[in-house]
Amino acid sequence: MALVLVSALLVLLFFRDDPRLNAARAFALDTTGAIYSTAAAPMNAWTSLADYLKSRTQLRQENARLRQENLVIKGQAQRLAAVLAENTRYRALLNSAEIVEREVMVAEVIAVTADPARHLLVLDKGRDDGVLEGQPLLGADGLMGQIVMLGEYTSRAMLITDSTHAVPVQVLRNGVRGLAEGTGDLARLLVRHVAATTDISVGDTLVTSGLGGRFPPGYPVARVTSVDIEPGAAFASVSAQPLAQLDRGRHVMLAMEAESAVTVAP
Amino acid sequence: MIGGNATWVIVSSILLALIVYVVPMPLEWRWFRPELPTLVLLYWVLALPHRVGIVSASLVGLILDFMDGMTPGAFSVGMALSALTLLFSYQRLRLFDGFQQSIVIGLVVALALMIERWVQNLMGVGGRGLVFLYPALTSALVWVPLRNGLRGFRRHYEVS
Repeated sequence: MALVLVSALLVLLFFRDDPRLNAARAFALDTTGAIYSTAAAPMNAWTSLADYLKSRTQLRQENARLRQENLVIKGQAQRLAAVLAENTRYRALLNSAEIVEREVMVAEVIAVTADPARHLLVLDKGRDDGVLEGQPLLGADGLMGQIVMLGEYTSRAMLITDSTHAVPVQVLRNGVRGLAEGTGDLARLLVRHVAATTDISVGDTLVTSGLGGRFPPGYPVARVTSVDIEPGAAFASVSAQPLAQLDRGRHVMLAMEAESAVTVAP
Repeated sequence: MIGGNATWVIVSSILLALIVYVVPMPLEWRWFRPELPTLVLLYWVLALPHRVGIVSASLVGLILDFMDGMTPGAFSVGMALSALTLLFSYQRLRLFDGFQQSIVIGLVVALALMIERWVQNLMGVGGRGLVFLYPALTSALVWVPLRNGLRGFRRHYEVS
């Protein structure tokens, strides 16, 4: 009984955002992070050995392919720069704030946490590297999640599909807003409370709307896979599939916070 | 756990179980992963109830909680109660054959999982029906080989 009480107390303590507890929390996260990296070590060693043993031909092929990709991406970036400049001019004409280009930091995924009901990642960057709580996590194809807990040298990130996660989105095509909630299923997000008459259809891309001030606007999140409208129901039930490859890849990008933080009304 | 001989065998077996438990695997496979830390702990409760009990169980649970980082206390309570269940019944359980033991261990692991899930649900984590009980089945399956292996260690290092 006493133990139950102690555990309950710990839950409460852990959830209080007391700065005095930050050190203890960080220590607990870093220590358990070490268990994860130990578990991942053999696999990593194998991967680096396989990398090391790659033949010259393979490396050359890969190099050629990467060079091509790089060229294509550079070309696209040139166009992007022109478009950005144009956009900035237009926004200046409209007297609206300039869009800040964000720097990104690359972090390595050490592991996925133990509990199968949660979609949490352990990352190898922490407060020491300048990671902040709530920082958005980006993959190559779209938004992956956000940092939820910070250790000194490791951190925990929650994926957008975790059942306690939600991200404000809008339809890229027409700007209709919604809230994409995680379902605990890696391939499915749920957009709730979309009026049955809303113009949203299968294939629409959902991007972050920037409402709430946590995620920067404009990052692709998911593609709508089904829109079910029951006759008589007030809301349509909309499912979407995340664009980012949430269970692949060893590296993720952390969007660095721009200096002018969004202030949220109290 | 403290104040006997060869404590390091117990500690390192639990640590090893924790490490094997989080070996990287595809996300969806995690639903079928046996609860190794719980099983190893339950083995020690069964073998040495005077040394490994509720306190050790909740400590291991706490480590598991911190590994998840989001809901400390969930595993801790579940592990403590499953250790308690075993403390009440270890004398009978020792007489059971492997099959009967597996069933009881499966049920005890299921108890721990249910408590853990219950706390998680209080915290707002959604459920997906009864899939969360699958690890209890796989735990029951691996119990006999795990028990035999750990018994070998215990006898070799004469932990008592």
